[in-house]
Amino acid sequence: MSAFWYYVFTLVFFLFDYFILAMGLNIQYGETGILNFAYIGFVAIGAYVTGAVSLPNSVGTGQHYILGWGLPFPVNLLIGGLTASAFAVIVALISLRRLRTDYLAMVLISLSLVLYDICNNFVPLFNGADGLYNVPEPMAKALHLNTNSFIWFFALVAGGISLIMWFVMSRITRSPLGRTLRAIRDDEVVAAALGKNVFRYQLTSMLIGSFYAGIGGGLLIQFGGSFNPTAWLPGETFVVFAVIIVGGVGNNWGLLIGALVVEVLLVHLPTFLPAIPGHAGLIEYIDAMLIGVLLMVMLWFRPQGLVPERLRRSPAEETTSRSTLDDFDLTEFESKIAAQSRVDSDEAGGRHEPA
Amino acid sequence: MSPLDETTTSAPLPEVALRCEGITKSFQGVSAVTGATFDVPKSQITALIGPNGAGKTTLVNILSGSMKCDGGTEFIGDVEVTNKESYEIARLGLMRTFQLSRELGGLTVLENLLVAPKHQAGESLLNIFFRPGKMKSVERANVQRALEILRTYGLYKLRDNRARELSGGQKKLLEISRAVMASPTIMLLDEPMAGVNPALIDRIGGYILDLKSQGVTLLMVEHNLNVVEKICDHVIVLAEGRTLATGRLEELRANEEVVKAYLGEVIDVNTAR
Amino acid sequence: MTLFWLSFGFGLVTASVLSIAAVGLSLQFGITNYINFAYGDFMALGAFFTYVLNAEILHWNFWVAMVFGSLFVGVFAVIISRLILSPFARRFDKTFYVLIVTFGLSLILLNVIYSIWGANVRFYNVPINRAMHIGPLLLTRDQLIVMAIAIAVMAAIAVMLKTTRLGKSMRAMSDNTTLAMTSGIDTKRITTITWFLSGTLAGLAGAVLGLTEGNLTPASGELFLFVIFAAVIVGGVGSIYGAMAGAVLIGLATEVSAAFIDPAYKLDVAFVILILTLLFRPSGLFARQGKV
Repeated sequence: MSAFWYYVFTLVFFLFDYFILAMGLNIQYGETGILNFAYIGFVAIGAYVTGAVSLPNSVGTGQHYILGWGLPFPVNLLIGGLTASAFAVIVALISLRRLRTDYLAMVLISLSLVLYDICNNFVPLFNGADGLYNVPEPMAKALHLNTNSFIWFFALVAGGISLIMWFVMSRITRSPLGRTLRAIRDDEVVAAALGKNVFRYQLTSMLIGSFYAGIGGGLLIQFGGSFNPTAWLPGETFVVFAVIIVGGVGNNWGLLIGALVVEVLLVHLPTFLPAIPGHAGLIEYIDAMLIGVLLMVMLWFRPQGLVPERLRRSPAEETTSRSTLDDFDLTEFESKIAAQSRVDSDEAGGRHEPA
Repeated sequence: MSPLDETTTSAPLPEVALRCEGITKSFQGVSAVTGATFDVPKSQITALIGPNGAGKTTLVNILSGSMKCDGGTEFIGDVEVTNKESYEIARLGLMRTFQLSRELGGLTVLENLLVAPKHQAGESLLNIFFRPGKMKSVERANVQRALEILRTYGLYKLRDNRARELSGGQKKLLEISRAVMASPTIMLLDEPMAGVNPALIDRIGGYILDLKSQGVTLLMVEHNLNVVEKICDHVIVLAEGRTLATGRLEELRANEEVVKAYLGEVIDVNTAR
Repeated sequence: MTLFWLSFGFGLVTASVLSIAAVGLSLQFGITNYINFAYGDFMALGAFFTYVLNAEILHWNFWVAMVFGSLFVGVFAVIISRLILSPFARRFDKTFYVLIVTFGLSLILLNVIYSIWGANVRFYNVPINRAMHIGPLLLTRDQLIVMAIAIAVMAAIAVMLKTTRLGKSMRAMSDNTTLAMTSGIDTKRITTITWFLSGTLAGLAGAVLGLTEGNLTPASGELFLFVIFAAVIVGGVGSIYGAMAGAVLIGLATEVSAAFIDPAYKLDVAFVILILTLLFRPSGLFARQGKV
């Protein structure tokens, strides 16, 4: 396989992987309004656990890690996802109930840094700064795949998995549950006043979103065969936020496009460029800066993202008796006034949904 | 003929839908509520009036559960609900509206109403994936009902508009219709007529009377004594954080304490010069 | 027991650095009502500006370089807040937009520092100083100066808040911005001054952090950020005195714990204390109503 196709399939894999990651953060942030600044931590848990569970017992491998049960794909992937979920429940129980947005964000980012610190330093856990490597490629032996063919094979596997996960997420966001989550996002006081147990819904959202994070992370370690702390500095959470904000919150097509623009074009394509001699890593630094700048530009000029949130229309009218108040003039009159003041004030002055 | 011209009568010895006793609340040493005690009679329209700063909105917040009180008790029927969470109180049938309308901006008008019903089948993951038929039928029924309510409140044409695009008056109507969708037994309305044009006041008054005839208990915080006079059966006066007096408006007008507390505070169209 | 006092001494030093940083963050949060997630990078900027003046271009005395380095960050903070942060804060009424912007700013600043100075570890140009015995404590002259600076800063801020007109305006704004505006307080000016103070304190904290840690890297500030958050939350969000108290508590706890557990995790102890606080006393030590 030529280098070109190798690159292409690598990019295709990352497109699907980040699509999954975006869906996970989207149900937490886009649908429910939870600023999960520790998202990358859950991705890492998924990656580490998926890897550690599929590696054989650590004795004699030269690495140090827990678990080491030698489980095959996709069992290890599921365990990775579920572990991330379980962790999210604990985090939510401790912090979600008690804190409003800013403080929750502070605690979560602290959690992310601490997790990073521990994984980086505590070697017996996941091999410390070296991270896990030599993670067996799923099904490679069974299907007699070499390095090259594995790349496109697994890119397709990732595609398949992301399709299933997209289908599941779609059902959720289109359901009354999705609507209640969005209500909580828009105004949790009102949601509570309407009888919704806000904490339970936030917990559900964290659970599902973190499962997606774990799966996304698990796929990463299965594709690359290794995973170490440099792959998940807390700032990586921001990349996933960028995917959602650039692409468009609350819309799965938007997430895919966001993944394409941010992840593939901005993050991975440049790594295929030759490094500038004398300035190691400069391209990566500029890359990261560009993502930050792009995000601010998007938030300012097009906060709803490239693909805005779908308007969910009412079902087709069934003919029933119509009340005379239907054509109440006052309502229409007021609508015209409202429309005029909207034109006057323009988006900058108005309230916004987090899109 | 405006709906507000209907006369109202109070039923003899009504049941009590909502009761509070000795509610107190202070913020950083400043007392907002110093002892609120009253009964809200069932299926009647009760007004909660009082000068600004008397603690009315704080009390509404406490009664609906969005704020916790420092002392006192609250009962809905026979059930004690003191300091229960707002969602628990809402599930017991008490709905409230907000003084400044809080619409769920990103959702459509119809979706705003669809959030209201309790225990929707489609809110459970199990039902979404394993009982989609049940989810759909419950949803269909809710949509039908929501559309009916929207028709009644004149918001049908706006059903697919995002709630944030509505005018102030429309948002008020949305606020009320959303609470109605939740099939409340008690409604706490925080200044439902505030900031609306006179024609809409008439209309909202009509809706409130309709709700009363359906058996809903209504407690409304209101400054407009004209409205209070026309539709309310019972009045509670709050001043300086405590219950000053209760009774019918005519009796209270003669009450010296009430008049003193109110001097220069409220719009009273009948006696204004 | 000597180990305890040794750690206690380090604890006082860490508390000093932390208190400068925590007060800077708290002041800004009180006025703007959102947390600046790029604060750690402001600290790093201060550390690097100081580095340039001290060890790269000019070779000034560290303390002089530190003063100028901090002031540069103060000015920088004002520029950033005027150009980027305040416009975003004004535009959206949900705070999480501006929080994401500060998060993004953090990413940008970190990588700007990486681009200019690279990832290598740097050291300040300071004369070696011996540790001296102060009672049971063992501290170097530099550490003592840092502690003195911290105490001076705390005192100055406390005096300013209580007695000066600026301080009173800041407290008024922190309590209720709209009321402050209608009372004739020039909120825009106060906000600018607050950002200047916050930036200067951040820069100062970054420089002394680099000094007391013995090295500086572009990510040092960010990695220290959660300890600052812990100090602010444990002390009680919104309260300046809480930030100071939290800083002392967290600073001492982290260093003393290093005597008992693997020192690599001493900062993580701060996080444990944060979690315990959340579980048992979520409003912190000196919580202010309305901010939680």
